Amino acid sequence: MIQFDQVTKRYPGSDEVLKNVSLNIDAGEFVFVTGHSGAGKSTLLKLIAATERPTSGTVLIANQNVSQLKASAIPFLRRRFGLIFQDHKLLYDRNCFENVILPLRINGIFGQEAAKRVRAALDKVGLLHKEKAMPITLSGGEQQRLAIARAVVSRPSILIADEPTGNLDASYAADIMAIFYAFNQVGVTVIMATHDALGMSARQNRVLHLNQGKLSENISTAESFAS
Amino acid sequence: MSNWLNHQLQAIRLVLARMQDNFLSSFMICLVIGVAMCLPSLFYLGVDNLSKLTDHMQNETEISLFLKLDASKSTVSEIDALLANNAAIKQYHFVGKDEAWEQLQARSKESNEVGDVINQLGKNPLPDAFFIQAKSSDPETLEALRSELQNTPGVEQALLNTEWAKRLSTLLSLSKKLIFFVASLLAVVLLVIIGNTVRMQILTQKDEIEVSYLIGATRSFIRTPFLYAGMLYGFFGGILAILMITGMIQTFNYSVSQISHLYSSDFSLNLLNGKLYLSVIVSAVVIGWVGSYIAVTRAIASIKIH
Repeated sequence: MIQFDQVTKRYPGSDEVLKNVSLNIDAGEFVFVTGHSGAGKSTLLKLIAATERPTSGTVLIANQNVSQLKASAIPFLRRRFGLIFQDHKLLYDRNCFENVILPLRINGIFGQEAAKRVRAALDKVGLLHKEKAMPITLSGGEQQRLAIARAVVSRPSILIADEPTGNLDASYAADIMAIFYAFNQVGVTVIMATHDALGMSARQNRVLHLNQGKLSENISTAESFAS
Repeated sequence: MSNWLNHQLQAIRLVLARMQDNFLSSFMICLVIGVAMCLPSLFYLGVDNLSKLTDHMQNETEISLFLKLDASKSTVSEIDALLANNAAIKQYHFVGKDEAWEQLQARSKESNEVGDVINQLGKNPLPDAFFIQAKSSDPETLEALRSELQNTPGVEQALLNTEWAKRLSTLLSLSKKLIFFVASLLAVVLLVIIGNTVRMQILTQKDEIEVSYLIGATRSFIRTPFLYAGMLYGFFGGILAILMITGMIQTFNYSVSQISHLYSSDFSLNLLNGKLYLSVIVSAVVIGWVGSYIAVTRAIASIKIH
């Protein structure tokens, strides 16, 4: 589903953020990307989400070479993803319902069908009763759940989350993680950048560890990661 | 197709809701557009009506043909025959020197001073004259006819009474060109105003644009609401301009009818100038679209997503 072949990324005026990264993520996997701040986690996710292009090497997403895609084709590639950001990127000038419906509008889904899907997404993250609330009135955890609802409402096959639990305390973080696991259970590929071991619980997960732009891979549990 | 339509409707609804939320500032922008559209339109209306007036006057004009003072009866009848055979002449009438002299004396009795002067003249200084109405009202044809008559033997002078109307209409056609330049300048001003307004809106909605991009919105999806915003500003501005113009014409007409009553004419400004109103609205909408298109294209290019 996602293939990196000897991918190097360098921003103008900086060192190589990613060095010679090769990886392969299959459909339905749950993958953690770990590493210190500045190790290149966010850059890796941006390359997957096609918001950045590699300096060299190839990035294949669903057998499409991102570097060779026309600019006009990129939006349609992005619609395959659900993106979740550490800072939520919610729109504070509209209520929860309006926030979640945005991807559907972009996908050209309107009316009753759209409303039904928005409520289903809000229900999945436990925010159905806050439909009319403004995002600013929600707690940090609720805001992140709202962001997840927005990411999943258009039923993407891949969820990409950049430190979704970074700003949350432990109990909220566990809530969020449970939601991601639930989506993974129904076949959604989840790629999550994180620097805290808490989220990873006791399950066995594939972990892509980045250290100064270099990738090492291992299957990890919370115990081995903490050590 | 229905998707596309849905998207357009959605965008218009969104823009209208935003305008309602910021009613006062939206109204101000529309007012600026309205005033800017109003100026050249009023100018145009003034010039247009004046030129209609002069056309009207030119239609009524006649050529005065004054014969030489020593013109004999046979010369007069020769010219009379000549005029009768001229195809360009609609009608004419002859005023003999004695008849004209009597008319002048009769009229001058009302004013003592003029009467004295005329009495002092003693003998009749007036020539025989023909007053001719041509079939055509075209200034050039009239001028040709005038010079043809001027060259007739026995004629002292052929006078076209439309000289001043001709000069005025030349001036008016000059003014029409001036309107074009004024309107073009104001169009540039409007482009800048609308472009700037839309740019400010884009800045306030930068988050939304960024998020939409990340979610997979196309450029045209992001552009559409702003284009509608520009067009709607133009539309409402155009309507305000029309309201203002109508209001001003109403007040004008009141004074104009008084004046034209004094000149025993039924002239008044045309209130319902559909062509003008349509072109005001259409040009305002087009300017709005172009202004916002430029602004939104520049802004989208400058917003980088990382």
